[in-house]
Amino acid sequence: MLQMTRAMSEADETPRRAAPAALLAPLLAVVLLAAAPPTALGAPPAGPEAATPAAAASAPAPPPGEADSPLATAGAAAESSPDTRGLDQEIQDLKKDVVDLNKDLFILEEELLFPANTQVAVFLSVDVGQFFGLDSVQLKIDRKEVINYLYTPREVEALLKGGVQRLYLGNLKVGGHELVAFFNGKGPNQRAYKRGASLRFEKGVGAKYLELKIDDRQKKLQPEFAIKDWE
Amino acid sequence: MSWQRPNHPVWREVAQRWLRVAVIALGCSAAVQAELPYALIGQSAPDFALRAAVGGNARLSEHRGEVVVLSFWSSRCTPCRTQLAALNRSLTTYHSAGLAMFGIGVDDDPAQARDFARSASVSFELLLDPAKGVSRSYQVDNLPMTVLIDRSGTVRTVLRDYSPESEQLYLQQLRALLNE
Repeated sequence: MLQMTRAMSEADETPRRAAPAALLAPLLAVVLLAAAPPTALGAPPAGPEAATPAAAASAPAPPPGEADSPLATAGAAAESSPDTRGLDQEIQDLKKDVVDLNKDLFILEEELLFPANTQVAVFLSVDVGQFFGLDSVQLKIDRKEVINYLYTPREVEALLKGGVQRLYLGNLKVGGHELVAFFNGKGPNQRAYKRGASLRFEKGVGAKYLELKIDDRQKKLQPEFAIKDWE
Repeated sequence: MSWQRPNHPVWREVAQRWLRVAVIALGCSAAVQAELPYALIGQSAPDFALRAAVGGNARLSEHRGEVVVLSFWSSRCTPCRTQLAALNRSLTTYHSAGLAMFGIGVDDDPAQARDFARSASVSFELLLDPAKGVSRSYQVDNLPMTVLIDRSGTVRTVLRDYSPESEQLYLQQLRALLNE
């Protein structure tokens, strides 16, 4: 779910993240180079126990008669398989390190760009969606449009399956603010439907999380739009 | 007093010279148009989300992993209609190989673009870009214009006109991208 949220908000945040990503990329490269074992970087092995398939490949080839014999082949396979397994393990460890590092960098980037004392995040969820087909959401904070997001059928389907999208992540100073959201889509009987919802909230020293909720009001056979403040 | 066509040899020579100059200039401009560098080649394709003239919305990043063809069109562009029909044929052939296709209309009037889209009868989505944000990001300088994006989301080829020769080139490039 986190991945979906990241993917859905990635397109809108690309320009903002471009600069820190450019700064962090060389850092990632340097750390990777430092963390990688010498064999993986093509450096010569330190000792006889550090023999690699690359070293084996560069070793002189056995005589043709010896190499062709089944015994020699079986022996070679028995000798090379532990090395291959070791190399596979090294590659897997390296991949895991890269994933972990990427995660740490992502968290670090968010902490740098959106510190907890100014961070405000707006999420969107859809429950049932029988009376409303979501098309787009326009979000305004303090009368300033911060995002206008257009939904594709795949995204709507993901939301209807229970996904929660992080629609907006930004910074706000401590104090009172107003959030206004406009929801566009198809209402009952497939008619164009536009509704708004607003919330006045107080931004404290901690991060602020708000949720736009689209729900069905069964009694009135109408959709309901609400903004929830996660305390 | 009536106007008579000048029949003097000097006039004829001047007219012939002008004609030659015009033909050369036209040829040069066509060659320059065909060989204009496209800054996005090798770059990551700018992402977008647009409303379709008929049907749902579309977002480019949802088609990562597929070869994507973007064709920019206008209701006032006659070759665009022919090209969209040709693209539709290629989509029918290569859809199962992982080909996605979008037509992006640059008309100012969405109603006019919708009429065009309904009459075009193509099986891919014709999207509307009345604000021209996507056209600007793809540096559209000619209609029809076709952009080919590979499976990793990189712009690989641009075709700035439509002719039987360019269609052959398009199919050649498309097959190469689908085989990667």
